[in-house]
Amino acid sequence: MTPARRATRIDKALQAARDAGAYIAADDKAEIRVCAGTACHASGRVALRKALEKSLAERGLTAKVAVVETGCHGFCEEGPIAVVRPQGLFYPRLKPKDIDEIVATSVVGDGIVERLLYKDPSTGAALAYEKDIPFYSLQQRIVLALNGKIDPFSIDDYLAHDGYTALATVLDAADPEAVIDEVEISGLRGRGGAGFPTGRKWRYCRANPGDTHYLICNADEGDPGAFMDRSVLEGNPHSVIEGMVIAAYAIGAGNGPVEGYVYVRHEYPFAVERLRHALAQARERNLLGDDILGSGFSFDIRINQGAGAFVCGESTALTASIEGHRGMPRGKHIRTVAHGLWGQPTNLNNVESYANVPWIVNHGAAAFAAKGTATSKGTKIFSLTGKVVNGGLIEVPMGATLRHVIFDIGGGMPDGREFKAVQLGGPSGGCLPAALLDDPIDFESLVAAGSMMGSGGMVVVDDSTCMLDFVKFFLKFTAEESCGKCVPCRVGSQRLLEILERISDGEGTLEDLDRLETLSDDIIEGSLCQLGGSAPNPVLSTLRYFRDEIEAHIIERRCPARVCRPLIRYTIDADACTGCHVCLGACPTQAISGERKQVHVIDQKLCIKCDTCRQVCKFDAIPVVDAEPALIEGRQQ
Amino acid sequence: MARRNANGGNGKGTAEARGSALYEVLKGIDFERRELVDKSKGVGLFDLVKEKDGSYRCYSCTLCERTCPVDCIEIDYCPEFEELPFDIEAERAAALATLPGESCGAGAACVMGEKPAGFMPEIDMTKFSPVLAGIRAGSGLVEAFHATQEAFGWLPRVALEEIAEEMRLPFSRVFGVASFYSQFRLQPVGKHVIDVCMGTACHVAGAPLVVEAFSQELEVPIGGTTADGLFTLQTVNCVGACALAPVVRLGDDETFGRMGPNEARKLVRKLRKQEVGA
Repeated sequence: MTPARRATRIDKALQAARDAGAYIAADDKAEIRVCAGTACHASGRVALRKALEKSLAERGLTAKVAVVETGCHGFCEEGPIAVVRPQGLFYPRLKPKDIDEIVATSVVGDGIVERLLYKDPSTGAALAYEKDIPFYSLQQRIVLALNGKIDPFSIDDYLAHDGYTALATVLDAADPEAVIDEVEISGLRGRGGAGFPTGRKWRYCRANPGDTHYLICNADEGDPGAFMDRSVLEGNPHSVIEGMVIAAYAIGAGNGPVEGYVYVRHEYPFAVERLRHALAQARERNLLGDDILGSGFSFDIRINQGAGAFVCGESTALTASIEGHRGMPRGKHIRTVAHGLWGQPTNLNNVESYANVPWIVNHGAAAFAAKGTATSKGTKIFSLTGKVVNGGLIEVPMGATLRHVIFDIGGGMPDGREFKAVQLGGPSGGCLPAALLDDPIDFESLVAAGSMMGSGGMVVVDDSTCMLDFVKFFLKFTAEESCGKCVPCRVGSQRLLEILERISDGEGTLEDLDRLETLSDDIIEGSLCQLGGSAPNPVLSTLRYFRDEIEAHIIERRCPARVCRPLIRYTIDADACTGCHVCLGACPTQAISGERKQVHVIDQKLCIKCDTCRQVCKFDAIPVVDAEPALIEGRQQ
Repeated sequence: MARRNANGGNGKGTAEARGSALYEVLKGIDFERRELVDKSKGVGLFDLVKEKDGSYRCYSCTLCERTCPVDCIEIDYCPEFEELPFDIEAERAAALATLPGESCGAGAACVMGEKPAGFMPEIDMTKFSPVLAGIRAGSGLVEAFHATQEAFGWLPRVALEEIAEEMRLPFSRVFGVASFYSQFRLQPVGKHVIDVCMGTACHVAGAPLVVEAFSQELEVPIGGTTADGLFTLQTVNCVGACALAPVVRLGDDETFGRMGPNEARKLVRKLRKQEVGA
């Protein structure tokens, strides 16, 4: 009985699609999938699409071969990307001029354009098929499964790929408590960073009485270097909507009205546009709004845009922002699940958490719990960026090692440089050294190592990054983003930054290191929210693992990575310099002089150390060396 | 302070004049006043200033309560305090008349944070009507700001005043919320808005050098607009195109990846040339 009814409901929604004759993407159809994620857009997907349409039209193939603009494929380093179906040929880093050749060879014919193929950086072999590329084949995708497969603007695509079946299952069973049980058994924990068990949060929220229960999706992905939530919203917005409707049903069915909000960053225009479109489509098909699929349950979702405040990712600051106040957090002794938005019980989860829910309902809690470690279940998306060959989105089961993610999937370091550290969890996380590469990644082990999961940003740095400069970057960020409510965070983070600046100027003392530690502890103790509570994490983890490097700045007055300006000097290597005049022309302060074909000279008094000359030099003739000790002494007096 | 005296009040401004014990202790110590971050949202908790005879200088004019952007001040009736023989309305009117832009009637310096802009474009208030329509349709304060910024490119004070009136909110509250969010611009922007991404990946790839090059070439600080109104230089936390780091966005449409200081200078020169040619 139940499976039959479920099928009827989804069929009805699908039928509308078939009647309208919508195109449904499928792996075995002749189609060309162009990635329309933000990174590929920035590297020129619009021109690519135009060239593609033109080329197909010239050959009269417009009706036969579809161009599908999908969400982010995840392999952002290689953008813009196109995949030719049904073969599954993967073409990275395309230019509009390459398109005609691809259409002629791989669409009209059955060949492969060898010169455009992806080359495996470790073996140098050209890989033609998407499925063979290690970046994809080593991942296990649950949340990102349909990214790159379906058109985010088409609800029909999502429905045809078993979309909204989980919602139908839940509505048929008509047992909201059972949904909560299922999510709790699955072991799903909040993907926003803190890792609170999602099922338990729903249970608390359901148990708290209120006029209206609110359900918020936190898409205020503020961590610099993290973009998984954006990619999910851009690539598969319906999975988030479906997860939210299921959560709303679990919390609100037979429990009073429920209202939903998505709080999304204003910096993500594509995500907002696609989400808005998806919401309208879901309402049209009766998958959202009044009396969803004839079940008698009503729920709708509004979009609320943030305005560039990092602290608004914090739950109480976020609710304050929706209410139209300054986004300042409040104490958590009153829980949001009891007293949140407009003073009502509120459930707040991250985009990725909601996107996991349909999979759990469809495949069962046990299947989800089978992935991951003892305490952290399922998969996690990481956005791998920085000094790494294959940057992009990576979804792996919890418990994978950092080495697996960075070296096996990420392809290791470019240009043969040496791995130095990986920074996890954004400004609240910490830097982990090479010695911890073989540790499994889960919520607990990261905290024990002095970092945290955060939203899953993973920034890899090599030996050309100064750890002190890196920490300064994070502290500058938190000092600027502190909302100003708690003094330890507002003033303390600024003071931490000043101490670090003193050290990077070569004027620090060893006592400064103790001061950093004491002040960090005070900031952690004295802050209401996790912004302040975790702001010193980068400092503490760096002191723990990279103390040598910081001490070098103090004792030897030397920056080992040659980044901190007062401690370095640009010179010209007389053997390598060809006297080509390029650096001379590029120097903004005319600090370089010399005749053509003669070795050039840098006037240290005029040099502002802007790095332009080193970047433009084709002969690596401008090495950066330690500043002369005498110069530092002189400057100090 | 002299200002207060001009009002005919009893101002004996400084701690020195009041001969406070604290001043005696503190005057020997050489203090270094350190700057807070530009965006810092506060300087500490307030307390009422006491006169030498123990009476309070505050005479409950409620101006601070009305001006506070975060609604953290509340003036309440308190029977233990002696009532001061003040005509509050007259005092308030006098204070407002003599201290335009200042909020405390008793002479503390709480100035509304408006920096003079380098240039000021004309404000066409006909563009504002969709914002009002939005508010009437139930949009929130932050949404109203987004709509205003879309219309003007920034949030002019007149628009904020209109919003305050329409939503029946104190102007201070409206201004306070607008100044909290870094995306809202309280200054006019130039024709070309250059956004330099300062995300982690961009930082590691050298974004600070790029923003510095822009700043030197345009001769404006971060957040500044050139006097000719052509360029505004801004930073943005992360645009999420980390694979292309360092990333620079020009306006809403154009994105440049893998930038260096030299490319930055070239871009500015190219745009300048276009403007001269146009």
